[in-house]
Amino acid sequence: MTTNFYRATLLKGFAMSNLLALLMVGLFKYTKLQDSGALVFSIFVIVPILMGIVSSWFWMKINLKSNALVGYSLINGSLAILFSYVFLREGVICLLIVSPLIFVFIIAGAFLGKRMFQKNNQTLNVSVFSLLFVVFVTDSLSEHNYVNLVADEMVINATPEQIWKHVVAFEKIEKKDDYWLFQIGMPSPAQTTVEGYYKGAGRKCIFSNGYTFDEKIVTYEPNKDLTFDIIGQPLDPEIMGHIDILRGQFLLKDNGNGTTTLIGNSWYRLHVFPIWYYDIWAKSITRNVHLRVMEHIKMLSEKG
Amino acid sequence: MKKDKVFSFVVRHLGFLKDVPLLPHVFDSLLKFRVFLRNPVLLDWLDEIEAEVLQWEGTVVGLHQYGGIQFDHKGKEIGHLHSNGLLDVLYTREMKLLLLKEGRIQPHHVFEKSGWISFYILTKEDKNYAKELLKIAYDQVQKKFATRKPYTAQSVSP
Repeated sequence: MTTNFYRATLLKGFAMSNLLALLMVGLFKYTKLQDSGALVFSIFVIVPILMGIVSSWFWMKINLKSNALVGYSLINGSLAILFSYVFLREGVICLLIVSPLIFVFIIAGAFLGKRMFQKNNQTLNVSVFSLLFVVFVTDSLSEHNYVNLVADEMVINATPEQIWKHVVAFEKIEKKDDYWLFQIGMPSPAQTTVEGYYKGAGRKCIFSNGYTFDEKIVTYEPNKDLTFDIIGQPLDPEIMGHIDILRGQFLLKDNGNGTTTLIGNSWYRLHVFPIWYYDIWAKSITRNVHLRVMEHIKMLSEKG
Repeated sequence: MKKDKVFSFVVRHLGFLKDVPLLPHVFDSLLKFRVFLRNPVLLDWLDEIEAEVLQWEGTVVGLHQYGGIQFDHKGKEIGHLHSNGLLDVLYTREMKLLLLKEGRIQPHHVFEKSGWISFYILTKEDKNYAKELLKIAYDQVQKKFATRKPYTAQSVSP
């Protein structure tokens, strides 16, 4: 086997599997199979598995060892991620989040393909491809809707009256980010401003990169309940089309001993699937947004 | 024998998911990914074991239903190899007891009282021992086929 043949075969594997992915994702996006604009689980699971199988079909001619097959599958996944950055204009943090899913399913597909093609059974090959394609189409046509709530609470050594003024609006958070996603560039909450202290007033949650969430106060019960709907999200590629923050809420419960329990609730709708993977990230990010804000409120309230 | 704690945890607590199509293979790919990052030489050893077993007459390799690769001889399983280097082999009870006395293997990580055994490949010597273990199982299966009475019309007649 010559070096040129080896390289050409490798390239064919990379090119054809990425072309297939591009076609499938393109077909999905531009035929608007999903009315809601959700990115279904097939995009992140079935497509990488098919990419792995297709690359394996080309690479079986050069009989790759396991280490090489894993390594080249990782390169293949990286190329797919790079193409998503260029063509789909996805954000860097988003791609970082999605990458473990892509890598694992591409590797799974590559080894599945290797074993499939070793058997040299055309019926099996056609069946596997057909089954995966049917799952892709069915999933793409199915309704996807997922709303979740994340709740956090914190005890503050202050009365509800002392805390309330910092809940409705607060000055800039100066504390350094301690959540790793914030540290590597994901915007973190920085400041909140308010038009007025009444129901219906506009509120703005400003993030570290200057992006702003426009909010409207829907429940205003001083020292007890501040609930606001999010009426405008920033056009940030990291969140656009992936997650909608629907509503936020701060509840204050007087513990009767000079302390207050502050509860932070956020409701969001996810547009990326599978839920079992993305909701872990959504919960983690939302929780860290809560904690950053609530710790700031605690610090301001306890200062007096 | 040093155990893979992550693997043991998943088998013990998430084992009920093993029948979800493709999931065991995805988990095995996750193990491959981890081995590739932390101990890539293990993947070479697994390839070497596979290549050697395939040289034995009548053996084939396929995907094991719960992840990893499975070695069969004439349709009967000899053993299977998970991508974290865990080898599971099936023996007669007598052979299992004999090998347990050598002290290198352990009863199977799930089915302790069956004829199955488990062995973690951690070193180059372990790799060679894994080949020996598979060869013993292969010889056993081969012997069983050799001693099996041929099927004739006479043998089933009353």
